[in-house]
Amino acid sequence: MKDRWFTQIRMLLLVAAAGTALVFSGSASVLTYAQDEDEDAGEAEEVPEGFKAAAFPAMPSAGDVEAGKRVYFTKCVWCHGVDGAGDGPAADRLWPRPRNFNQGTFKIRHTASGELPLPDVDLLQTVTHGLPGSGMPSWDGILTEKQRRQVLAFVTAELVQDREFDDKEFETYTVLQIDDLEPIPPTEESLKRGAELFVEQKCFECHGVKGRGDGNAFNLKDDWGFPIQPADQTKCWNFRGSRRDPYDVKNIFRTFSTGMNGTPMPSFADNTTIEERWHLSNFVQSLCERGPDGEPLPIDPLTDKPKVKFVVLSSPIEGELPGDPNHELWQNRERRLVALGGQITHKPRNFVNRIDDVWVRSLYNDKEIAFMFQWNDRSQSIATEEQEWDPTEVNLEDYGLVSEQLPTTGEPGSIAAAQNKYRVFNDALAIQFPVKWQEIPPPEKPRFFWGNEKYPVDIVKWEADGSLRAFTGLGWDQDFEDRDIFAMDLTLLNAEWEDGRWTLVFKRPVKADYEEDTYFEVGKYIPTVFFVWDGHNGDVGRKLAVSSFYYTVLIPPIPMETYIYPTVIAVGIVFLEGWVLTRRANKRKGKA
Amino acid sequence: MKSLILWAGGIIGGIFLAVIFLMSSGLVSPQMIQLVPGYMPMQVLIELTACVGVFALLSYLLAQNGLAIPKFWQGTLFWVFLLLYLKFRIYPPIPYSVRALYLAVSAVAVFMWVSSNEEDWKQFKQPILNVLDAMTPFHKALRTFYLIAIPALLWGFSYQSFLPSLEEPIELRTVHPAPPATTKVHGRTFVLQTAQNPYRVDLEGKYDQGFTDDLIVEQGMGRLMKPDANPWDPDAKGYLKHVREGGEVFFQNCHFCHGDNLNGRGLHAFAFNPIPANFTDSGTIAQLQETFLFWRVSKGGIGLPRESFPWASTMPRWEEHLTTDEIWKVILFEYWHTGFYPRTWD
Repeated sequence: MKDRWFTQIRMLLLVAAAGTALVFSGSASVLTYAQDEDEDAGEAEEVPEGFKAAAFPAMPSAGDVEAGKRVYFTKCVWCHGVDGAGDGPAADRLWPRPRNFNQGTFKIRHTASGELPLPDVDLLQTVTHGLPGSGMPSWDGILTEKQRRQVLAFVTAELVQDREFDDKEFETYTVLQIDDLEPIPPTEESLKRGAELFVEQKCFECHGVKGRGDGNAFNLKDDWGFPIQPADQTKCWNFRGSRRDPYDVKNIFRTFSTGMNGTPMPSFADNTTIEERWHLSNFVQSLCERGPDGEPLPIDPLTDKPKVKFVVLSSPIEGELPGDPNHELWQNRERRLVALGGQITHKPRNFVNRIDDVWVRSLYNDKEIAFMFQWNDRSQSIATEEQEWDPTEVNLEDYGLVSEQLPTTGEPGSIAAAQNKYRVFNDALAIQFPVKWQEIPPPEKPRFFWGNEKYPVDIVKWEADGSLRAFTGLGWDQDFEDRDIFAMDLTLLNAEWEDGRWTLVFKRPVKADYEEDTYFEVGKYIPTVFFVWDGHNGDVGRKLAVSSFYYTVLIPPIPMETYIYPTVIAVGIVFLEGWVLTRRANKRKGKA
Repeated sequence: MKSLILWAGGIIGGIFLAVIFLMSSGLVSPQMIQLVPGYMPMQVLIELTACVGVFALLSYLLAQNGLAIPKFWQGTLFWVFLLLYLKFRIYPPIPYSVRALYLAVSAVAVFMWVSSNEEDWKQFKQPILNVLDAMTPFHKALRTFYLIAIPALLWGFSYQSFLPSLEEPIELRTVHPAPPATTKVHGRTFVLQTAQNPYRVDLEGKYDQGFTDDLIVEQGMGRLMKPDANPWDPDAKGYLKHVREGGEVFFQNCHFCHGDNLNGRGLHAFAFNPIPANFTDSGTIAQLQETFLFWRVSKGGIGLPRESFPWASTMPRWEEHLTTDEIWKVILFEYWHTGFYPRTWD
């Protein structure tokens, strides 16, 4: 709140100053004024449009540094390490790795590309809001603002070693004046211009033509030599600089204007105008996933990700189930988001899952039920080597194909270093339902991870080599059992990878063999679990991404009672009205 | 005298309303008023009392100036005000069913107020009777409108409520089930009533809860380590060294779900339903014995009894991944980091 006051006062002062400047110098804008001041200060260097040379940040007091050390060794050291080199106990199992503070390289800033960040603005915001999509959480409500400032005092004074925040000789602070710049409304023309710039500025080369981060996804490295992926622009809640307000276009504009130090993401301050950057920001913002009416997805304040409804709806249709994903029957259906986490319950645990959600739709008719899955995957992975195990096998560690990341390996052996070097397996998706769920007393279910002996599960698994198989699951470490007869009734209708997204459609019988296969019944809540493998992440066997329990519900046709009871009630009310009116009339008559 | 009281009530109420307005418009920090924990019910009562004061003053002043609001509209408007207040002011929002209950009670209260004496009651029902009698063309039109609108609206509402809802069913699980008497981990049997954390020791290596309780992080917002009790001190010995080792285990294994601040908001939490346990909440580990945690951590979700939904828990059976010592140390760390004391059996 205080911040807002300061910003407002600052803006007022700025406007007042600008007004004065206008009167005296006759210059045309606030920005020109800023440049005038620079010249006064004797700095001849040209400042990009929209930026302003700023004073050096105030250096923290020794007391703050000492207090910050206490915060650091309680909360931060576990990831960032004793010397701030990003090598704490957690580091080797994280990707991206925790920030190495020593070089003073920070991604999210208002300062020009290559410059140090503003501790009181940029670093404070990072600590307050966290960096979504990485291990850095929001410390808002956990550390007081004072503690957050103190820990930053310690980090900037002690842990940033290669540069000094008050080094007048080598450092400059050229600050993007984002509060003074008015965003351009995202009109159709603006979006069109943005789309052109997306091509002109070669954004698509890394981020892909649809912005799903599938361009140059496997050759990029950060300053420390670790593989780094271009952002998937359709998931703005994972933008590191989203500041817990993912649909705010200003966050994108800031990143375009200042770049991300230490990464291949450059600043566009020098080769685009401010207006162009707003168009580009509007366009990139428009790529982010939205609800059916184009509204931003509601964000869950507990997780800072889109809210998840744990029900997948299947709509009844007449006639054939369409195989074409663009068919209006598919396009008109509500899609539901299924959230995925790494499988970190059993060995080999998957600490880094590259697929973190799937959109699911479903349709059914009297004989079959079809599912359409869409998920972003930067790479189409089809195993090039012959698979030396049987598709029913799940304990693949025995083949030495897949193993769990060891906790402490040092940087070269860390999970971050291992990215993009995995043997490539098939991308795959599986969906699991209980067999004979009708007989399981609710809320009991077969175990989420491939069922158990007591309650077997019906698993249908698709792999990128085009196979669609049906298995019975009896437990997380039990090899699957083939269900060949059922598999013959499965139909793969569509499986296509395009611009960083898989679209998969298959159908299965609503009812087959009651003893082995899941019987779908209209209006019932059937427990469902989803599994996704990313072949380029070395996902195979138990190394996968998994969902929580969802329910698949075949939407029932509206029962007659829904119409009958309200009508009975309404008629009753009409009679009641008649009675009241008659009584009143009689009473008045009696009085008269 | 009466007007004096009304003035006083109105002024106090006006101040409160102004504060609420400033808070909701973001000009004043809401924390200014909501800082005291558990203050919410009191705050609501005070605010409502203040509003009643303001309304009383308003209606008094209007009546003085010959613009008295009819009793019927007073009652109705006040009830509508309560509806809006409950819906928009109360945070976190209260469920619809509870709100409906409050509003029904309020309706009864409003009814009692307007019928408290013969004069008021007459005033209150006059507009209703006017519509029923339909003596003027305006009232006639109004009566026709109501006669049609009421059944139509009720039809709509009941239709909505009869439509099958396809929301996620509510399934309540027992978060802290009764533990077993003993648990066998890595071939050794632990009696939950008597087992002790072998790393909760003083400098001589003797079990000492009092000694270690003095070294955990401070209570309250921020929860920082005690000065001069840094587990990362190279010279740290005994308890503090074990805390660091436990923290290393936590940040190599547990933070993915339970979060860097042990608040259940880890990297993978987004996929969970419900999200993982929040150890900083006073309802979790603060309520439990260390041996309960030892059993829970060792046996994981799969080892839970039926009422705790073992099928849905992704909590690993940590004996698959960690040694007994690592499990004890990570428990030690969790209490140190959250600033809670484990419960004891006595």
